[in-house]
Amino acid sequence: MRQLILGLVLAGFATGAAHGQSATPGGMPPPTGMSLAQSAAMRFPQPVRVGDLLHRLVLRPVEAQTILGRVHAVVRDTQGEILIVISYGGFMGFGGRPIAVPADAMALLGEDLEVVAFTPRQLTAFPSFTGHGTTVIPDDTTIKMGLAKPSH
Amino acid sequence: MAERRRRLHPWPVRLMHWINAGVMLVMITSGWGIYDDDVIIHGLHFSGFWRLGSWAAPSLNWHFAGMWVFGLNGLAYLTYGVATGRLRERLLPIRLRDVVDTVRDTLRFKIAHEDLTVYNAVQKLLYIVAILAGVSQVVTGLAIWKPVQFAPLVGLLGGFQSARVLHFTGMAVIVGFLIVHTLLALLVPKTIGAMVLGGPVLKPATRPETGE
Amino acid sequence: MTPSPFRPKDAPGPEVLETHRPLIRSLERRGLLRHGLSLGALVMLTGCDVKQPEAVESALLAVSRFNDRVQAWLFDPNRLAPTYPASRILRPPKFNAYYDITQVKPVDGQSWRLEVSGLVSDRHPWTLAQLQALPQYSMVIKHICVEGWSYIGGWSGVPLKTFLERVGADTRAKYVAFKTADDYPSSIDMATALHPQTMLALDYGGDPLADPFGFPLRLRMATKLGYKNPKWVTAIEVTNTYSGGYWESRGFSWFAGI
Repeated sequence: MRQLILGLVLAGFATGAAHGQSATPGGMPPPTGMSLAQSAAMRFPQPVRVGDLLHRLVLRPVEAQTILGRVHAVVRDTQGEILIVISYGGFMGFGGRPIAVPADAMALLGEDLEVVAFTPRQLTAFPSFTGHGTTVIPDDTTIKMGLAKPSH
Repeated sequence: MAERRRRLHPWPVRLMHWINAGVMLVMITSGWGIYDDDVIIHGLHFSGFWRLGSWAAPSLNWHFAGMWVFGLNGLAYLTYGVATGRLRERLLPIRLRDVVDTVRDTLRFKIAHEDLTVYNAVQKLLYIVAILAGVSQVVTGLAIWKPVQFAPLVGLLGGFQSARVLHFTGMAVIVGFLIVHTLLALLVPKTIGAMVLGGPVLKPATRPETGE
Repeated sequence: MTPSPFRPKDAPGPEVLETHRPLIRSLERRGLLRHGLSLGALVMLTGCDVKQPEAVESALLAVSRFNDRVQAWLFDPNRLAPTYPASRILRPPKFNAYYDITQVKPVDGQSWRLEVSGLVSDRHPWTLAQLQALPQYSMVIKHICVEGWSYIGGWSGVPLKTFLERVGADTRAKYVAFKTADDYPSSIDMATALHPQTMLALDYGGDPLADPFGFPLRLRMATKLGYKNPKWVTAIEVTNTYSGGYWESRGFSWFAGI
């Protein structure tokens, strides 16, 4: 009898989270066929100081706000494109390996950032960032990034 | 002159207990609904099954309706407990030695509860923690509800976000208590009967200080 | 629901939901509706929670209205919200709306006018330049969203009290109501309208409001939740008629005081 009760209680706690997007989407991915630059331009890019981006949490655009990683650095590649280097994976934003995500694939969400153009599965396939061919952008530089609203 | 027979759980206690049980579940589950709109622990999210109110508005409305019942019932319980001496009789004193002994016995599943009228040390501790957690939820809840009007209180709690975290933590403590409390009650069903019907008659002039 | 030329501007009334409730429940049971998506869409249309009986919902809304009276009683018109150093201003601030960022419709500051109506003596519309010429006030305060998040922001603009005095508003009236370019009506109690930290904000962090944050004018209060502060304000009315607001129609508190 006791085991049954204990079993039922434990079973009752096995639950799946509902991560579905709702009627008021937050960080929606760009429509297929649209370039990252075009989709970022639709998000009313706002000036942000590079130094203010460092150490920010990087979140999945879902209501559970799962942590993908933390901002480690902001760099420019040889084409002039701005990349956000994230320590990806790990636990609660600590640990993980560095990957470089285009700033146009991300959005500002208050004091955090979101990756809106790539799924976690796609991010896992990103090569580890070596720094080769990139220059670190100084902290006091202002760049522009698109916005997102909270996901529900 | 006939002596008044005091039962373990007088009817006001029973009534307030079950009201509290119901409204606590309302506060917790509607709270989980409110929490979902801006999670405190990233990745922790309560699915539709667990939340009261399928989105923010009903969850908030349940929470702000339930708060009156929870607060007033809780206040009545504490007032009754102090005025009748019940809280002191039931929950004090607690000796560390007794706590250690009881924890050891419980882990060995020696939880047979022959005399319901005497609370063991772990029971007393858990009930005190539950009461304090309930009070904490009211205090932190008021801070979150009125962070400008009660700004000094928010300051004491370390700021608005800190008050939120404390409110969440209090909930976790209460949920932990509820799980243990409910499990143990189910394992010793006499206790549930006692909280419905009143339980055993207390011996006259019970002296908790003499132990047992 | 995100606004679209393919959807009617006026949502169906709640009676539609009631009529179709058994159908909706049946679809849900058969797993034909994805939980979050469908309920979200339905409740956003009508404000109803499909999962609870209407009697329960009415009772909860009645308590909410009672709570509004308690909140009004708790509101101290002389208490200022805490302020913070300008170094803590979040730049840019956090964006939120009832639609996605890509749906924001910027307002042309040149052709924009602030309409004034109701219990006032001067009903002439205001240009942005005329508002900028009025006495300005700055504050760095905490924005608190009903969702639970907050941030520190810096706004400057015309104190609403100053503006109301300029237009000869009857400050014994109960409400000040706002209309916006994004169909997001809001209304507040007169006591809050007259609070020193209630302003018609023109700037954020020392610069004019950016497009997504309400350019050229938004309401900014320090004593109410974020959703009570409409962006892209186009009209102000001083009135004794309750007009609610966008989120109030969907079950949220009207007083929404912090």
